[in-house]
Amino acid sequence: MTPYFYKAPVLTLDNVSMEYAGETVLRDISAQVLDVCRPGMNQGQVVGFYGRSGLGKSVLCRIMAGLLAPTRGTVHVGTEQVPVTPGAVGFVQQQYPLFNHRTLQDNLTVAAGRKFEPEEARRQVDAYLERFQLAPHRKKYPAHLSGGQRQRAAIAQQLLCSDHLILLDEPFSGLDIAMIDEVKKIILEVTTMDELNTVVIVSHDIQTTTALADRLWLLGYERDAEGKLLPGATISPQHQYNLAEMGLAWHENVEAEPEFNRFVEHLKDEIRST
Amino acid sequence: MKELFSPNAQPRRTTFLLMAAGQGALLLLLWLFYPLRMFPSLGEVLRSLQDMITTQGLIQELWASMTTALQALTVATILALLISYLTALPFFRPLAYAASKMRYLTLTGLTFFMALMVNSGHEVKLSVLIFATTVYLVTGMTSVILTTTQQEMDHARTLGLGEWRSFLEVVVLGKLDDMLEVVRQNFAIIWTMITLVETLYQSEGGIGLLLYKQNRYLHLDGVVAIQLVILAAGAAQDYLFTLLRRVFFPYSALTTAR
Repeated sequence: MTPYFYKAPVLTLDNVSMEYAGETVLRDISAQVLDVCRPGMNQGQVVGFYGRSGLGKSVLCRIMAGLLAPTRGTVHVGTEQVPVTPGAVGFVQQQYPLFNHRTLQDNLTVAAGRKFEPEEARRQVDAYLERFQLAPHRKKYPAHLSGGQRQRAAIAQQLLCSDHLILLDEPFSGLDIAMIDEVKKIILEVTTMDELNTVVIVSHDIQTTTALADRLWLLGYERDAEGKLLPGATISPQHQYNLAEMGLAWHENVEAEPEFNRFVEHLKDEIRST
Repeated sequence: MKELFSPNAQPRRTTFLLMAAGQGALLLLLWLFYPLRMFPSLGEVLRSLQDMITTQGLIQELWASMTTALQALTVATILALLISYLTALPFFRPLAYAASKMRYLTLTGLTFFMALMVNSGHEVKLSVLIFATTVYLVTGMTSVILTTTQQEMDHARTLGLGEWRSFLEVVVLGKLDDMLEVVRQNFAIIWTMITLVETLYQSEGGIGLLLYKQNRYLHLDGVVAIQLVILAAGAAQDYLFTLLRRVFFPYSALTTAR
């Protein structure tokens, strides 16, 4: 098993609940992402939140990104653990939005301008364009980019202005196998860029999310003592998994391992039962 | 040929141009040879047009109307943009709402109040045109602003741009091309109003006044000639706006279905 240890928390959700017009969407969600350290490795981490469609994952994403205040509870981010505000967490939405009126290079420059002086911002943008294989497309408008290029651009844009924590909402939704492999590569690329980089995947693709993550939280409904469904999706204590502890994290081709597949089957059973 | 009658078909450019030219020619032939003389003949219209150019200063009158229209459009666009963008602040939303509803007011009643407020006939003409155009522009521009999605605003906010900068990036800069389209569409309204306004204040002339006179003395050939001139001017304006959009907002056409 790969040696590792945990350092300070980088994201803490403390009893987060969300209600809309009296209807509970999310209930008492608590989870903490700790900065994992692997001696001799200069790599960040990937954690996953799994939830079925229509469970309120996008609402949870918006809360974690500081775009929506929860009805109850708090979200703290960074090693300083400050309350989350818009812009504190990089958030790549499902449709990979970019500014359609700006070229790809300008899109990245706007983002880089938040942290860097103009000269340094230009250098950073050039570096990201190279790293994400977007340099030949720098003068193109978003409408001219392919789906994959757009996704890479959206991730690069968020990385340029966020502080190591990046949130991906349904990054595998509607993609074919080749594209999923491409996204997986990008996610790993992000983690290798800085030891502090943490990618939070919020997805309904259990197989791919589990394969990439070293921590996993399962979002679902709970039942009371009488077996009645409680309103609002939550994360039960038994649905928080430390894949590093289970020996299922950081393997090159973990999806081919029988142990991994048994675990995914177990997760599927858990999902069906909720 | 078949593709000209297939839904959503994309005929070749030459085929399409030939078709359009054919339709134009058919219309012309109908005009020339239609047995019922509802319209003056083409020859009469052309003669009248020549006469108005040489003896009644049609070009000068057109220029006078055009400059008034452009003046009104410039001021109205600035005002409408200001009112529309101010809807970002809840305090100003009732103003935009009221401005939009004022397009139901009739011009005749309005000119009376304008005459009381300003000094010269030119100012009355201009202020009526500005008012009427502004209320239409505000309606179109606020509709454009309302197309802003949560996702667009969220995207800007996640880049840490702040509320005003997010508004500038997404609503102001991001929708400037759509605003130009609103201006293009509403420019036509000025032409429909200018004829009315010019007849109320006749001292400065204008193509509207010329049209009024031709109408009054039942010079139908002159009426058709002036209408055709206005139509040509409008078409040229439309083309100019499309050109401006293509030059200044090249990204604009990229997502449009063809």
